[in-house]
Amino acid sequence: MVNLDHKGWRIFASPLVGFLLLFLGFPILIDLVYSLSRVSFTNLRSPEIVGFGNYGEVLGDGQFWRASWFSLRFGVITAILECVLGLGLAVFLSPLIEKRSWLMAPLMLPLMVAPAMIGLMYRLVLHEFVGPVPYYLYLWFGDSPSFLNAENAFWTLVVVETLQWTPFALLLFYTAYRAIPNDVREASAIDGASARQILTAIELPLMRPTLIFTFFIRFIDGFRVFDNVYTLTGSGPGGSTTSLPIYIYEAFFKQGAIGKAIAASVILFLASFVGLYALTWLSRRGKGAAS
Amino acid sequence: MLKFTKITLSALALITTSLGAANAAVTVLGWPGGSEETALRAVAEAYNAQSGVANTDKVELLFYSRDGFYDKLQADMAAGSSAFDINLLATYSIGRYASYMEPVDLGPDAAKVFGESVLKTMQFDGKQYGVPTDLSLHFMYYRKDLVDALLADPAAKAKYAEISEKYLGKRLEPKAPDSWTWDDWAATALYFAKSVNPESPVRYGTVLQMKNLLFNIMVWQSVARANGGDWMDASGNITIDSPAYRTALELYKKLYDAGASPKDSLSYEYAETNAAFGSGQVATALQWNAAASELTDPAKSPAVAENVGIVAPPAGSAVRADHIHGLGLGINKNAKNKAGAAKFLQWLATEDAALLYARSGGSPALLPDVAAKIAKERPDLVTLGQYAGAYGYVMTGATSANAFPVYELQAKEFTGYWSGQETLDEALANTKAGMEKLLKP
Repeated sequence: MVNLDHKGWRIFASPLVGFLLLFLGFPILIDLVYSLSRVSFTNLRSPEIVGFGNYGEVLGDGQFWRASWFSLRFGVITAILECVLGLGLAVFLSPLIEKRSWLMAPLMLPLMVAPAMIGLMYRLVLHEFVGPVPYYLYLWFGDSPSFLNAENAFWTLVVVETLQWTPFALLLFYTAYRAIPNDVREASAIDGASARQILTAIELPLMRPTLIFTFFIRFIDGFRVFDNVYTLTGSGPGGSTTSLPIYIYEAFFKQGAIGKAIAASVILFLASFVGLYALTWLSRRGKGAAS
Repeated sequence: MLKFTKITLSALALITTSLGAANAAVTVLGWPGGSEETALRAVAEAYNAQSGVANTDKVELLFYSRDGFYDKLQADMAAGSSAFDINLLATYSIGRYASYMEPVDLGPDAAKVFGESVLKTMQFDGKQYGVPTDLSLHFMYYRKDLVDALLADPAAKAKYAEISEKYLGKRLEPKAPDSWTWDDWAATALYFAKSVNPESPVRYGTVLQMKNLLFNIMVWQSVARANGGDWMDASGNITIDSPAYRTALELYKKLYDAGASPKDSLSYEYAETNAAFGSGQVATALQWNAAASELTDPAKSPAVAENVGIVAPPAGSAVRADHIHGLGLGINKNAKNKAGAAKFLQWLATEDAALLYARSGGSPALLPDVAAKIAKERPDLVTLGQYAGAYGYVMTGATSANAFPVYELQAKEFTGYWSGQETLDEALANTKAGMEKLLKP
């Protein structure tokens, strides 16, 4: 291992720091200026500084809080569902996948499809006159529910998101599950532990860092959902399926309220930062508990 | 060495000339991927082939993808791009782009080709910003077989009257579609809805496109307009909270709640509406004129094509109204070749060019005597011109810089009411407040 002094660190870190300053620092600076300005597409080069008015407008906008609640609820529920299903599948299918590893490939297929395509696909699948789901529901039960009205759209979107991203959780959980040494399981079994006890008292605690990590990754992805929701329901009747990214997109492009959109994105950035910090903290705590 | 120098100089001269020509050519940013692109290619080719057009004024075409077209255009224009001399514009976005564009003089003959009401779709603040190349409006599509059967059967007429009395509060008699009022249409939609009339031969009486999308508001707002509704009055006061808007909003909600339109109508737009009507399970549909070719084509809509009737949208208590908006081409303020661009647009506004554009698949709204010259090849354009001239309207303020956000606002608030998340009073109050902010002078 080579020991670097301060000068050495500076030399090695300078390209990365330069890159970050150039490609992240500059846009962030511009964003901060715009978020404090009254700016539209007509005065992009001469924004009028108005202080924290945009932040006030965003925080006082009921639709912003509805979008935040949608994103939070969507992120938490889909992350829980994906983790529970992914964990169940990882444990249940583990013996099978161990023997036939090629099975992992078809299980991962939904991850290969762009989320926007998933949204479009379900627009067809759920359409009353051309979709297979309503067709068979009419055939068998004489009726089909409305999948995309204001009451049901949220849960339809949750199911669509969960179906696409559960394989991601499965992949991580399966890898973590297989990484547990068999000696530990065998020793527990010799000590008289049942299969359930091995799972809850041995395997799950050992998988805890992966469980936390996967949950947060899926939560962040769910929280910032855009593509499949936008292509499937847009922002929904009365804005009922507006996630925070959709709120920002619509404020920016549809309303031309650039300052407001960027102020909302800065708030989202800060919220994400807090989320990532929590992830790191929990991850460290998990590692400590496991060791 | 001399030979080498000559060849090098000749090559340099050739490169310089061609680069100069490329720079001076008129670059047109068009609407990609549909009949508009095919028609634009045809007229550009014809224009370039004319002997009077200088090499430096030849037209070159440029296309983005349709996805996010206007967002990309806005970003480009705001950045002062000179990558194109002529750009696409639409009625509802003229105000948004006018500050990046040059007004254009199309000459006195343009009005004789398109008519004043159609030229207006490309005007902002009294100035002409483009040539109206394609016009969109709405047709009321209906099933001739179903309506004929209704009109011929006394028992069905009695049932119709009973339904109209129960749901609309007045006893109505079935009429021929071309003389429908919005109430007649609503009664027909209710009569053909299985949820209202279990004996109906189809599942739904109509298909309403109610997704939270600005284009759907354009489809719906003719109901409000027909009852005398407008965005603002002559003094600039927002007049959205009016009996006309209330009646129109309530009518859609009544039909949706009664099950006259599919359950997922709140997520329906153009494509879903075509699929629903084309399935043969829907009796009527208020839809864009562009759908006519699909719905009347036996290969594309085998279940209904032979029985599709088309009329203008029904009349209201005030007038019979049909929303119109146009796509057109105008001059970029940062154009490198403004003079060449103006020449091309002036030519495009002539009768010959408009007819060529129409023959090549475009949908210009032409005055009746001009449209008559291509009636055999494009009978749909005769209807288009007729309806645009007789019933076409643009809401006051609907070409302003914030017309786009106004439509967005209405889409959000009105779908909120239709889906039961807001009361009518809340939706109208929110819309009024938002419009006052967006349309203030």
